[in-house]
Amino acid sequence: MNSKISITFCLMAFAALIMSFTFHSKQDPWVVPEKNAKMVNPLKGDASSVSAGKSLWAKHCQSCHGKQGKGDGSKAATLKTKPGDFTSAAFKGQSDGAIFYKSSEGRKDMPSFKKKIPDHDDVWSLVNYMRTFK
Amino acid sequence: MFLMNPAYSQDDSTAPEPVKIKPVKNTFESIWIIDNQTVMVPIKGTFEMDFQHRFGVWKNGYDDFFGLFASSNIRLGFNYAPIDKLFVGVGITKYKMTWDANVKYAILQQTNGKGKGTYPVSITYYGNAAIDTRPADNFLHFSDRLFFFNQILIARKINEKISVQLAPSHSHTNVVNGYYSEPGKVSQERKHDHFAVALSGRYKLKENLTLLANYDQPITKHKSGNPNPNIALGLEISTSAHAFQFFAGNYYFLSPQQNNMYNNNDYTKGEFLIGFNITRLWNY
Repeated sequence: MNSKISITFCLMAFAALIMSFTFHSKQDPWVVPEKNAKMVNPLKGDASSVSAGKSLWAKHCQSCHGKQGKGDGSKAATLKTKPGDFTSAAFKGQSDGAIFYKSSEGRKDMPSFKKKIPDHDDVWSLVNYMRTFK
Repeated sequence: MFLMNPAYSQDDSTAPEPVKIKPVKNTFESIWIIDNQTVMVPIKGTFEMDFQHRFGVWKNGYDDFFGLFASSNIRLGFNYAPIDKLFVGVGITKYKMTWDANVKYAILQQTNGKGKGTYPVSITYYGNAAIDTRPADNFLHFSDRLFFFNQILIARKINEKISVQLAPSHSHTNVVNGYYSEPGKVSQERKHDHFAVALSGRYKLKENLTLLANYDQPITKHKSGNPNPNIALGLEISTSAHAFQFFAGNYYFLSPQQNNMYNNNDYTKGEFLIGFNITRLWNY
């Protein structure tokens, strides 16, 4: 009986050990410079901009961040840092400028898109599209 | 009625702001549309690697597993955009061990909006010079190895889903086969220059999935060995750094001048083959 308990305990401990390696590491705070956070979105409320953003999202962002921005894209599991849930209040509470800065600059697993999406209006369109996630 | 106060448009403070004129984006998702180039020129600092493959015709059925086990043609390409609107590259093709050096320049870019300063279409030039690098005993002169291609690509993004492109082209080969038209006199079987036109289009089924179509019509008539037209239909999956195109068509070669001048696969006889283009982009 004791040996069964020991084996079960060892298996559970092993499983816990394995799972500890598969969890994403906790994100460090991502501080956005005040100047960037206060940038004004020139395309706010523009319907055609949301459509352009949707197209850019599908091409550049969806594979990690997921179709609905919930951080459940096909590549998300391979990342060291969890992509985050863009439907959350924490994400929505950010300024447009802060989202622009993070989208463009990148950090760690999140690549910089400054060269791939050089047009600022395109990045604002992405910001507008990200605002539609529910 | 004439005593009513006039309305001045200048007074209308609610008039919408003028639309900012900008080039339209993503007329196509790749520099390729099956066997033709597109008007697209990647942004400055982009390096691209191309992998292109054409299998054998599928009409032999199971004997060569619908052409997949037949002799295939392969091209590897390397391209770079040193400045905006310009793309230069080299490639090597298995058939005749052909190297090509190519250049592409976006002359005009379609813009949004209407009126002064806008363009309804994008116009890009594409050209290449190619060299057959097989052993010297295949040639009399060095110049016999060379052949060239020039094309003007004219495209319009009609809406977010549909884009079309018309592309007249000129192919030139330095050497053509001859025959004895009378004792002691050799005549050319075909002309050195060949004109053709390509019509291409895309329809976006989903954001990342696109239906592609391509038709190439030869124009120049030769004494013999006239090339056949090409019909191709395929699918494209595009991501941030890749485009994958899978299709069926008649063109086997991977050099546009060889395709336009020498295609002997006849769609009326079911001589189609499977092919793919894969591109990988890096931004520096």
